[in-house]
Amino acid sequence: MYKNKKNGVIGIVITIIILILLVVFTNSNINQISFLENICNVFVMPVQNGFTYLKNKISGNENFFADMDKLKAENEELKQKNSELEQSLRELEIIKAENETLKEYVNLKDKYKDYTTMPADVINRDLSNYSSIIVINVGSNDGIKEEMTVIADDGLVGYVISVTPTTSKVQTIVDTATAVTSTISTTEDTIIVQGTLDDKSNLKATFIPTDAVVLQGDSVETSGIGGIYPKGIHIGTIKEVVNTSNPTDRYAIVETAVDFTKLNTVLVITNNK
Amino acid sequence: MKKTLSIIILIISFFIIYFLQSNFFSFFTIAGTKPNLFVIFVLFIGLFAGKKLGLVLGIIFGFFLDIVIGRQIGISGIMLGVIGLIGEYFDKSFSKESRITIMLMIIGSTIIYEIGCYAFNIITLDVNFEIISFSKILLIEVLYNVLITIIIYPIMQRLGHNLEEIFKIKNILTRYF
Repeated sequence: MYKNKKNGVIGIVITIIILILLVVFTNSNINQISFLENICNVFVMPVQNGFTYLKNKISGNENFFADMDKLKAENEELKQKNSELEQSLRELEIIKAENETLKEYVNLKDKYKDYTTMPADVINRDLSNYSSIIVINVGSNDGIKEEMTVIADDGLVGYVISVTPTTSKVQTIVDTATAVTSTISTTEDTIIVQGTLDDKSNLKATFIPTDAVVLQGDSVETSGIGGIYPKGIHIGTIKEVVNTSNPTDRYAIVETAVDFTKLNTVLVITNNK
Repeated sequence: MKKTLSIIILIISFFIIYFLQSNFFSFFTIAGTKPNLFVIFVLFIGLFAGKKLGLVLGIIFGFFLDIVIGRQIGISGIMLGVIGLIGEYFDKSFSKESRITIMLMIIGSTIIYEIGCYAFNIITLDVNFEIISFSKILLIEVLYNVLITIIIYPIMQRLGHNLEEIFKIKNILTRYF
């Protein structure tokens, strides 16, 4: 491909630089590279502002923009009122749910205390881009069995799928093959949360009842249905509700309580069976 | 003797690649996507050492990966075996002296391997088929594999020809005489 050895070396060096730049830029937060944006803006924005001013002068759009500003302010005010009403509605729902399930919550808290847990370290992570399995450093010698629930400080991690004397494989809830029957804690509606390929920190909640009021920020917990996970373990919070033309198809994005990219220690519940 | 030594070196290389993939490339990702070094390695064996070794080592390496970190035993074994087999097919059909053809072989092998594994998962585990997300990840993975191939191409050629001399010398003679 290259005419001589020197060109070949240059090609390899350029490829390595491109690879490093790709890795750095695709994994860094956009806010962290805001200085680049600022530098670009220094050159572009004065000219852009000048052009916009000229364009507005020529087309006599000043009144139009003034009206636009008023409409925007009005829109913002209405949005604010709407969110306040939504907040009030949510608070009411919470109080209602609290009245009905207060006793159950107390029982759950007691039940959580009863769990015997075995701490473990994550020693290996999935090599593939399409699944999310972790290996922990406890196994059958420590009393670990298949289908035991694995949690972290913040919430549910997954369940044990196979065990060796010294290690166990855990299928996490963000794996695409995992589906957890859950409940929205405020309304007690049952939903199914599943892992997606898109994002390792979000789950997709489906089978939401058509009459269920699902709001951003609602907590999602395990329902206890299915026989693997005990009831009441925190999974995450509703991040976004996506409404579709058919109400039965609507779904929600659940942000997991556990940060799977930084997961280093877990707890295996050894007495939930 | 030389053959045994080469196989031992290939097995040691596999473990080095395994630790690279599970440690370094778990954070050195492009938009969260890791490359697949195993596909590059098994294709390299199939191309330069022939389909027999490519198939056998592909299956052994794949089964090892399935046992250590896989969800089901066999999928990676079968698919890496297939990549080892098609390595020789690529060798017979295309020239491996060009960087471009090697890159195209890597693209083809990565796509075949990942689609195969994903199809197996959909059939056996009832996983939802997410075509857009899958294509997006596959595209980045292919790009990553191609970039790595460009970087390691001179080493691949040098080691590959040594391997070819040990395993394929008879085939080369029969091809030309």
